[in-house]
Amino acid sequence: MSLFKRYQKVIIAAIVLFIAQGALQQVYIYNYWQKNYSPQSGELFASELAPEQILLNLLGFREFLAGILWVRADGFFDSGNYDAILPIIRLCTLLDPHEIDIYATGMWHIGYNFTDQDQRSDRRYIPIALALGKDGVKNNPDTYELYFEMGWMYFNKIQDDPDQALKWFELSNSKKDVLPAREDLLANAYFHNGQITQGLDTYYRLYNDAVKRTNADNVFANSQIRDTLEANIDNTIIRMLQRGYLAQQRNDGSYQKGDYDTLNPFDVGLSAKITVVNPRVVSVEGTWNVLPVGTHLRFIIRDLNYPDAKPAELDWNKDTTVSFNLPTDRTYMQDDLFVKDRRFSKTIDMSKDITIYPFTAPNYLMEIYYNPRFAPPHLQDKFGWSGEGMTDKNYLNTSIRPGIRCIYCTLQLSRDQILMRGPWADQHASVQTPNFKSFDTNQSDTDIVKVPTLRGGG
Amino acid sequence: MKSSFGVIWNIAATTVGEAIHRRILLIILLIGVVLLSVIPTLSILTARSQTSITIGTMYAVMRGISAMIAIILTIYMIPNEIERRTIYTILSKPVQRWQFFVGKYVGAMLALALMIALMTIFMVGIFWVFQHPTPAKLLEISQQPVLYWMEMCLLAAVAICLSTFIAPLINFFLTLGIWLVGTVLNPLYSSVAGDSNTPPILKASSKLITEILPNFANYDTKNPIINPGQNITNQGAYYSFVIVYGLLYICVLLIIGGIIFDRREV
Repeated sequence: MSLFKRYQKVIIAAIVLFIAQGALQQVYIYNYWQKNYSPQSGELFASELAPEQILLNLLGFREFLAGILWVRADGFFDSGNYDAILPIIRLCTLLDPHEIDIYATGMWHIGYNFTDQDQRSDRRYIPIALALGKDGVKNNPDTYELYFEMGWMYFNKIQDDPDQALKWFELSNSKKDVLPAREDLLANAYFHNGQITQGLDTYYRLYNDAVKRTNADNVFANSQIRDTLEANIDNTIIRMLQRGYLAQQRNDGSYQKGDYDTLNPFDVGLSAKITVVNPRVVSVEGTWNVLPVGTHLRFIIRDLNYPDAKPAELDWNKDTTVSFNLPTDRTYMQDDLFVKDRRFSKTIDMSKDITIYPFTAPNYLMEIYYNPRFAPPHLQDKFGWSGEGMTDKNYLNTSIRPGIRCIYCTLQLSRDQILMRGPWADQHASVQTPNFKSFDTNQSDTDIVKVPTLRGGG
Repeated sequence: MKSSFGVIWNIAATTVGEAIHRRILLIILLIGVVLLSVIPTLSILTARSQTSITIGTMYAVMRGISAMIAIILTIYMIPNEIERRTIYTILSKPVQRWQFFVGKYVGAMLALALMIALMTIFMVGIFWVFQHPTPAKLLEISQQPVLYWMEMCLLAAVAICLSTFIAPLINFFLTLGIWLVGTVLNPLYSSVAGDSNTPPILKASSKLITEILPNFANYDTKNPIINPGQNITNQGAYYSFVIVYGLLYICVLLIIGGIIFDRREV
């Protein structure tokens, strides 16, 4: 008797049961498991894992392995071996995508700590830090922390996209577990985005919450937040009045008739000269006709046709996946020029970090940029939030940042000039703005910005 | 004359008695208990996720130890009976081969339940001592071992089915391999299915594999336990379906194993 005939019924039963389990798996179980029980980490066999680590991962020791690796990363951090930390950060987040500290520390580390010899952070890492943060948010959507970290990266490090900072801080504040002390950055993000009234409204709302918290539990932390918010509201109202913001919003001509600090825009008188002093070393000097300290001008050298470049910034938001492979054939250097005594002078050495500054393109654009939206308050009191109290007869620009009067100046150098090759082998190339004059003849002692004060009658 | 259930129960009870006297299984169990007891010290690996690491690692230890026990317990069950010729004594009585086969398997299930229960009690005790959780949390972390038991029953079914025609040493590695692959089937499939660059043929074949191989990943539901805050609905329905899934697969494996054992020369 054949096998099938002898066991006909049980074989048919086995086939039916087998089909049933497959159907159950596909129709219900997999979808439910994926939605509710998946660790949300797609890359189970990360290529950076050693065989024994893969085995540990397979056996379910994901969190344990992530903890071990994170301790190891801490050791690398202490010894300054930053490059070794990058893959470990990614591995840890793949193994344990709910470990928020690793995401937060990793974002900060990638965004802030990868620097050249002069401690300039390599800005090309910022989109990677943001991509890591987005991955963290996707895996931890219910807690405020990574939304806040994303907002902070845009607010503090990038600054160029205030609408993004605003978006992430709003999401952060919408979470139940947000710390009260971190909520007020939303108001500052509104200010950076030019939404002054909304910023003040946010302060009021947070103040009311703080008063309720203090009435319920009068501990120092609660009363301190309440008092800080009260002071912030006072300052904001005074600034809105003195800077003529409210008068401008009324749009009834009262701004032009009033005695507002931002009237009669002050000419900041930007001039600049860039000299190649050695191969890959440039000296930047120039004038900025504002005496009070606190001015940071952004200075950028980049490939003339850098693919992700926008005026005075990169497309920070371009990366959607976390990859640590930076382009080795593109140059983007961003630094700050500090103004003191109405002048700035800085030598920028890019010769020691050839992988960061390869200079392979034929031509380079140099940008000098100032945005009053991110200026310190004592300068904003004269310039206004959007630069209405500031001008420059040569370099005022109202198009690169819509709604903001920026100062924006560009110059160009060629690759041969920067590397001192070919016809420039024995010469120091130099480019300058037409209005550049040497420091000692440029300034008029009487032409100094008057800094307003918040004190009455001042 | 005894009913089939009575025969199966007698064989199962004898098998449980044999299992709890096997030194190798007791040593593995002891290793599990020792590992569970040192896990709370691993909380130094993290500043804020002590509970996640502690519970996650405890579950991993329990799952791994349970799998070793399940495999070692079952791969020798049938071959040992044949090698020692005790099977002749049993089969000379009014016991059919399928009853003997199923009885052995049921005995393995009960022995596994006993050992997993012991580890669970120990794990809960250790967790309570070190972290002082609420009774609700203790109850929550006690749910996962129930699914691990079901997973190990499925694993034991694989091993006992293979043991009817494969030598124990080969069976050990084969079953272990099937388990390791089965524990990553869901994440593997989601990786493949979620990648837009994956060719359709690869997606289809990975789907087929997920349907054919025993999917042990279904029983790993620890994620919301170690990372609280997720809102899961119909968890009871999922538990029921996944137990039904296991029972269906176990029946298939027992039928295949039973047929092979029935036709085997002993």
